[in-house]
Amino acid sequence: MGNKWIAVAAVIGVLVLSLLLPAPALAHGVSIQYTSDIEITIIAKYDSGEPMAGAQVAVYAPDDPSTPWLTGVCDDEGRFSFTPDASKPGIWDVQVRLAGHGGMVHIPVGEGTATTGGIGGIGGYSYLQIVLMAACVIWGSIGTAFYFRRRRPA
Amino acid sequence: MKKKAAFIAIPLLILVMVFTGCSGGGATGTLEFYANGEDFVRQGFVSKDGWSIQFDHVYITLDGIAVYQTDPPYDPQSGADISGKQTVGLNGAYTIDLAEGGPDADRLLVGSVSDVPVGHYNALSFKMVKATSGPAAGHSLVMIGTAEKDGQTINFTITVEEECDYQCGEYVGDERKGIVPENGTADLELTFHFDHIFGDFDTPLDDELNLGAVGFEPFAGGAQGKDVINMAEMHLGHVGEGHCHCGCH
Repeated sequence: MGNKWIAVAAVIGVLVLSLLLPAPALAHGVSIQYTSDIEITIIAKYDSGEPMAGAQVAVYAPDDPSTPWLTGVCDDEGRFSFTPDASKPGIWDVQVRLAGHGGMVHIPVGEGTATTGGIGGIGGYSYLQIVLMAACVIWGSIGTAFYFRRRRPA
Repeated sequence: MKKKAAFIAIPLLILVMVFTGCSGGGATGTLEFYANGEDFVRQGFVSKDGWSIQFDHVYITLDGIAVYQTDPPYDPQSGADISGKQTVGLNGAYTIDLAEGGPDADRLLVGSVSDVPVGHYNALSFKMVKATSGPAAGHSLVMIGTAEKDGQTINFTITVEEECDYQCGEYVGDERKGIVPENGTADLELTFHFDHIFGDFDTPLDDELNLGAVGFEPFAGGAQGKDVINMAEMHLGHVGEGHCHCGCH
């Protein structure tokens, strides 16, 4: 029974290694990267419909809600545009203030709205791959520990 | 057989803990609550109808102060009730003198709560209620001071008996507030805009602010708060510069 589980752990270990190791580079290979950024435009107005011309704008990225990622000023029509960092998916918060009054808008930015990608590079791991790798490493470690702790037959 | 079950169960348990973020106890910090009448109250100002107002005392009684972590973020324009995954509150009612400390005073600490779960508290609710004792007993808001215009000086005491519920979104101001770090302290502020009641001489008369304000002239003529102030329309309570939904009775 013990040998069976050792074999399973070994197979999983090989699988993990195959996922971690990059593919060999080929001579005369081509690396083409692309970026598809999406610009976000907000229009800030008072309840009366009057544009918040000249309002201060602070943009907060999902990974740091305390520090503005970008600051700026609305134009005469209360308009402000920015291009979020595609590597930071999540909710982007935009605060607009003028003359003692202000508000915030919360904009979801996901993989589908601002993307990066490419061919020819190693690339990142998907969420499923990371979960699988973590599970295999944990399972393999525990299996190894059990193997060395098992009682030797008298 | 038992060993085999344990061999499968233990890794699964660890996996569940890892991926659900279970660590056997949540990280906590401290949250402080402040009240702020702004420079309008501390330093005085000129109303939309030209009265120079100085406040000696502005007593406001606050109850049911609570903050929430909401996702999606609460929108005060919706008028809906706030619901959040984490709620923290101050127990009891507090009567605060927003004019305390004079012109250069800082905002006033209402209270603090320790061991609150970390995270971003992005919504706040509170009530303005009648005080049951003290200098403001029987009133939810008492404004005491002097007003001067064209050589005429009036000592005034304006009282309000209406009680209001305020439901607010995230604090809006120079810095972001309400983000409690592990073993750290964050703060939130209940801000009161008294220019919404009296108007502001430095703002155009046709501005929304002044169109909604009652000015000081009615009070110079002896009116009381209940005669001219509709608190639901004054939008007194804010979170910094962010608006709150308001209901009064």
